[in-house]
Amino acid sequence: MNLLLVIFLSMALFAISIVGILARRNALIFFLSIELMLNGANLLFVAFSRHWGNQIGLVWVFFVLVVAAAEAAVGLAIIINLFRLKQLVDVDQYNALRE
Amino acid sequence: MRYAVYFALFLPLVSFLSLILLSHVIGRLWTQRIACTAVFTAFICFVGILVTYTSEGMAPHKIFLFHWIPVQGINADFALRIDPLSLLMALIITGVGFLIHVYSIGYMEYERDFARYFACLNFFVFAMLLLVLASHLLLLFVGWEGVGLASYLLIGFWYQRPTAAQAATKAFVMNRIGDLGLLLGLLLVFHIFGTGDIAEISQRAAQELSNGAPLGLVTMLLFIGAIGKSAQLPLHTWLPDAMEGPTPVSALIHAATMVTAGVYLVVRLHALFILAPETLQIIGTVGGVTSLFAALCAVGQTDLKRVLAYSTISQLGLMFLACGVGAFYAAMFHLTTHAFMKALLFLSAGNVIHMMHGTTLMEKMGGLSRQFGITHWLFLIGVLAMSGVPPLAAFFSKDLILEQEHLAGFETLFYVGLTSSILTAFYLTRAYCLTFTGVGHSTGEHVREAPRVMLTPVAILGLLSIVGGFLGCCDHTSLLESFLAEVGITLIANDVGGGFLLTRETWLSIGGALLGVGSAAALYTSFRERLGLPATALHRAFFIDEIYSAAIVRPLETLAQFIAKTAELRLFQGSIDVMATATQRGAAALQQLQSGQIRSYVAWMVLGMTAILALFLL
Amino acid sequence: MALDAGIGEWLLATLLLFSSIGVIAARKPVHASLFFLLTLMSLAAIYLQLSAQFIAVMQILVYAGAILVIFMFVIVLFQDAYQQIVHHKSGSSPPFLFAAAASFCALLLLFAFGLQGLPQQYASLPEGFGMVQLLGKELYIDFFFPFEAVILLFLVAVVGALYIGKKGSL
Repeated sequence: MNLLLVIFLSMALFAISIVGILARRNALIFFLSIELMLNGANLLFVAFSRHWGNQIGLVWVFFVLVVAAAEAAVGLAIIINLFRLKQLVDVDQYNALRE
Repeated sequence: MRYAVYFALFLPLVSFLSLILLSHVIGRLWTQRIACTAVFTAFICFVGILVTYTSEGMAPHKIFLFHWIPVQGINADFALRIDPLSLLMALIITGVGFLIHVYSIGYMEYERDFARYFACLNFFVFAMLLLVLASHLLLLFVGWEGVGLASYLLIGFWYQRPTAAQAATKAFVMNRIGDLGLLLGLLLVFHIFGTGDIAEISQRAAQELSNGAPLGLVTMLLFIGAIGKSAQLPLHTWLPDAMEGPTPVSALIHAATMVTAGVYLVVRLHALFILAPETLQIIGTVGGVTSLFAALCAVGQTDLKRVLAYSTISQLGLMFLACGVGAFYAAMFHLTTHAFMKALLFLSAGNVIHMMHGTTLMEKMGGLSRQFGITHWLFLIGVLAMSGVPPLAAFFSKDLILEQEHLAGFETLFYVGLTSSILTAFYLTRAYCLTFTGVGHSTGEHVREAPRVMLTPVAILGLLSIVGGFLGCCDHTSLLESFLAEVGITLIANDVGGGFLLTRETWLSIGGALLGVGSAAALYTSFRERLGLPATALHRAFFIDEIYSAAIVRPLETLAQFIAKTAELRLFQGSIDVMATATQRGAAALQQLQSGQIRSYVAWMVLGMTAILALFLL
Repeated sequence: MALDAGIGEWLLATLLLFSSIGVIAARKPVHASLFFLLTLMSLAAIYLQLSAQFIAVMQILVYAGAILVIFMFVIVLFQDAYQQIVHHKSGSSPPFLFAAAASFCALLLLFAFGLQGLPQQYASLPEGFGMVQLLGKELYIDFFFPFEAVILLFLVAVVGALYIGKKGSL
């Protein structure tokens, strides 16, 4: 696989996820975009691991995968709690921590 | 001897502190006792020191207490110097001071603020003693400022009177103007000599002059300080206004002691002044002009205390006249006799003022010789003594000054001094006549003679005025002269005509005195009713007060008002307000940042990320 | 830019981009998660292309199998709530968000243009690269401590999620 193409793909994935975070108000889609970001980073790691012939990148990906799973669990628990509190999934309404 | 000096110097200070702090607890009687005893003990100590000093062979002592400012270039030590000059001044201060303390017991008998008065008086004695005993110029300056402060406190003693408060401020400010010159002179001395010790300076003066030190400038600056303190032209207007204070205060501070501090300074540093002939000429001229000017003004005053105030200015002018030709001994001699005589005059005037319940205008007096049997004799003694009628005190001292003028070759100054003496005799006799002779103008209240506590000190002073002249009268045999000769203060020239064959100048001065006394007596006893009020120019002291007020005081007041109302309010307060509101607005703006919106936070993070990446990539 | 890539690679790239855009653009959350599934699948395909077999399988198992499933559960829980979003005004100012996103994308684009001269040599791959055995050896020997640490982290996360998610007071 062409390294350059993969790099571009990773960057594109990252940029798309940023746009997704900023553009959507639904908490779940918000969270999905964050997972997209993680996947973009994973893609880059794998690509360069292949490029250098080193397994270290794959080890990193492994860890990122585990952390992503843990984070998804906790994050969704928090969102469920917020939904119970506000009865809304609108991210903009979760604004109690303001000045 | 050390301990006697410590005791004598610090006892008035201790008395001042205790009177200030314990004034609620101590009653009137104890206040009097503490205050007077303090000064009397100091006087006795100094007499004792005098005896020891003369018997031990007259060697000047320097008594060192502690290192005060051990800075290189100043090296101020708290050290006191015992030599004839300082002993003479200390004796005058404590002696006359004690008499005035006793007098004040009677004068201030209706006063509620008894303790404060005596405390301030004691503080003054302490500060003046510090001034004359100081061995270092900086310590002298401390005493100088101390007496200025005491003067302010005492002139403004009846501070609820607006005139008194203003007079006190005026005195302090004018003193301050002179002090600027003094301070500059001191700094220059430190710079030239590297030390402020008076003895060292006197020794090294000639050597430094040959090294090119600007001694003329130094002495001129020091003399400016003396002008301020001793009320010479042009810084003289505070002294007549200082008569707002109680009469004993006027006697002590503004006649006998504080105003003589300027003369003391010049005489103390005579080693410097001798090496600066131009300054000496200026001193002589200023003294002469002041003397004449003040004498003229005194002729036109209607307030009894103001006549005596202008007389003080005039006599101080005479003392500076003597210094100007280098006759420092004559100046000190006149200082001593003047202390006695002026205190006598002020205190006997105080008798009259006190018993007439505060009137000082001579228009309201007249014909009081019947009621004030003893006081009027004492006042007459003072008048005659001051006029220079032999053999009373000032004849010897004033005559000495005039002779020295003539012998040193300054003929004009001789005639100026002579005219001033004639005028002195004239206005003093005028004051006597207006107060004590003729028809009474007082408003009917029965007036008695003063109580004994007030009469006794005045009587003692009268006695001193009579015999004081013999302290230093005849050449080569006088006590004072041989006493002061230790410190090099001698006559600059000895008069030729020895013995009783009096010189032409002496006859001139005697004649002038008699002329003044006689003419005034004739005018004011016989033609009093027809004379009316004196000429306005003389009465208002040639309008100098008005000129100062218009030229200096008003512009400064306007400036002060401007700063207080406009600059202070708008500029300083405004800038503080602006800063406060700006900070608050900034804070309010920043508050918008923390909106609680996750997406805004993310957006800020993205922007930051972009910035950092741009920094790294581009 | 000259990208010499085979047709398969281009296909996979297009699929990835299309599905990821679908994730963020979908109206209903269910559609978004289905697009996410498609993204994960195409990513796994790319990993296989890059000889990272173990990772590809892990991706499907963990991401698509576990994470996506719990997402589905939560979406089902909030079935109709997403329709309430339009009733409220946006909390943050849209222009600002747009500016942030646009600047970031512009920067990445700029960066992408600068990346053209990248060397395309591949190092030779060792035997068993990306296989379980070799990766396992790396994990258990060279990276043992991080491995254990991450397991601990997982444990803590599970406990935390249980605690946060339970009904009643927190």
